[in-house]
Amino acid sequence: MRTQNATAYRFLTPYLLIFAVFWIWPIISSFLISFQATRTVPWRFAPAFNWGRLIGDPAFYNALKNTLLILVIQVPVMIALAIVMAVLLNSPLLKARGLYRFAFFAPVVVGEVAYSAVFRLMFSLDFGIVNKLLNSVGLPKIDWFSNVTPAMALIMIAVTWRWAGYNAIIILAGLQSIPEDVYEAATLDRVSKVRQFFHITLPLLKPVIVFCAVLSIIGTMQLFTEPFLITERGGPGGGTETLGLLLYRQGFRSLNFGYASAVAYTMAGLAIAITLVQLWLMREPK
Amino acid sequence: MAAVTLTNVVKRFGGFEVVHGANIDIADGEFVVFVGPSGCGKSTLLRMIAGLEDISGGDIAIGGKVMNDVEAADRGIAMVFQSYALYPHMTVEQNLSFGLRMNGNPKADTDRRVKRAAEILRIDELMQRRPKQLSGGQRQRVAIGRAIVREPQVFLFDEPLSNLDAELRVQMRVEISRLHKELGVTMIYVTHDQTEAMTLADRIVVLKAGNVEQIGAPLDLYDDPANRFVAGFIGSPKMNFLGAKIVDTSNSAAIIELVNHGGARLRKPLREAFPAIGAEVVLGVRPEHFFEAGEGDCDIPVKADVAEHLGSVSYVYANAGPEELIVEREASRQRAGGDHFTVSIKAERSLLFDKVGARIR
Repeated sequence: MRTQNATAYRFLTPYLLIFAVFWIWPIISSFLISFQATRTVPWRFAPAFNWGRLIGDPAFYNALKNTLLILVIQVPVMIALAIVMAVLLNSPLLKARGLYRFAFFAPVVVGEVAYSAVFRLMFSLDFGIVNKLLNSVGLPKIDWFSNVTPAMALIMIAVTWRWAGYNAIIILAGLQSIPEDVYEAATLDRVSKVRQFFHITLPLLKPVIVFCAVLSIIGTMQLFTEPFLITERGGPGGGTETLGLLLYRQGFRSLNFGYASAVAYTMAGLAIAITLVQLWLMREPK
Repeated sequence: MAAVTLTNVVKRFGGFEVVHGANIDIADGEFVVFVGPSGCGKSTLLRMIAGLEDISGGDIAIGGKVMNDVEAADRGIAMVFQSYALYPHMTVEQNLSFGLRMNGNPKADTDRRVKRAAEILRIDELMQRRPKQLSGGQRQRVAIGRAIVREPQVFLFDEPLSNLDAELRVQMRVEISRLHKELGVTMIYVTHDQTEAMTLADRIVVLKAGNVEQIGAPLDLYDDPANRFVAGFIGSPKMNFLGAKIVDTSNSAAIIELVNHGGARLRKPLREAFPAIGAEVVLGVRPEHFFEAGEGDCDIPVKADVAEHLGSVSYVYANAGPEELIVEREASRQRAGGDHFTVSIKAERSLLFDKVGARIR
């Protein structure tokens, strides 16, 4: 057995080396860097320098507020939408199921830059189809990129468009694992379709929904692409700046690696904390 | 309680007909078992009675009322599923009371019904457990309990014991039988296991490929099957079928030659039909109806292949020419593979079938 293990590890060595150099070491290194003042040459150890700044930095709180706001509104809306889409996809009445499944999943495979460009066009003040549609039903145009609230809404719409279908496909797999005869038993028990959904489908989908929620929370905590590309680097005036964007600005624009590392660890810590709370709230009763 | 009547019931899936005009009368309080091989339409028939499948033609009446267009929940039936179909996220108690709670049944009455079902099925101890914490037998009890709390007019069982091990199956069979006595309600039970059918049923409905082959009391089907299919399906081990032909007919009897046994002949008295001389027929003999050499009307030598000794009885799988016969023997522990012996057939303990399987009486 031991010889077998040793042989296996010898084969694994190239991978483990790469894993250690490009994964483990950066994780440790960035943690160490977060305790160093990196704007001096040479860097010096100053634990309070970055972490102390973080506690009092209005830009950090702004990014944190924006990120949490997106998390609190967008994730539940997207999961609810994904459940509805999954239920529709699972309906025996639906024709061309494969086509819809592909269509719902397609946004995930579209390039981020391409999709952001299309969204910018669609929501453009004068040429965008969204404003034209609003106008056509008698509503005023919205300047999606110049005001904070519409800009935040736009980010949430874009993220939801991109990921709702992906989550719907995962939830669909969960739906299809619920045996048909459980519903038949409920039908014989005179339980309406709506009540079947709330009393049978949703409780049985809970593990899948928790999985999707955890993935979405982690994703939203790291949100970067949409505010960077669609609302032009967190605009207007930092109104859509997220923690991911703050990290990028500090790390790669200002080359302040220590502070960027502190932000990164804060993001990871928050994602873990929120996920743990989520798992605790949704735990199976004993 | 209610009688169930099926009149010319037809089921089609698309253009494919799977039940071809079934006519079955089930009396109030009767225990009827639908039995047949896989794909014979027995579960489809049960699901049509339950209202889980639409009826393509004919009528289904429960308690004298035609139920074709009545919702499943309003038919006064309860069903026990093969896979139990328990709600996995609910405790046993919640599983039992779910339907009643959802329909606004008064709590006191719900509690009374749940308590009664738990007592009948002896599952009081399990009320706070979830299905995954129960054994197969316990899950099946809960599934039956969920049917009992509905206080239905008709119980439907869809192969309820097929997921249980052999010992538990026997135990649950007895319990279902006792439950029927205790409740006195009409029960319709689907199985592919003829032993279950024989032991549980007041009457058995034998189905094959969507047709009702025969309806009757278990021993009537055993003793007097309508055709070769029923004769072969009912009884374990199966009836033996020996190739034969009619060589003469006279004086209300036919002389039959067993074509694979060196011209062995026997005289079989007939009441109704006389096949033509030379007609190919099949002689059916149950394993327990082979007698010792010389005791019957026709002897055939056989060679034992394998012997199964079950204690009180042994089954010898024997070769006789190209045919394999199953012979039941009491106290034949010494019989082993390779032994040569002779068995004897009595005309009155054999059945005659024509080439297509219809009974010749």
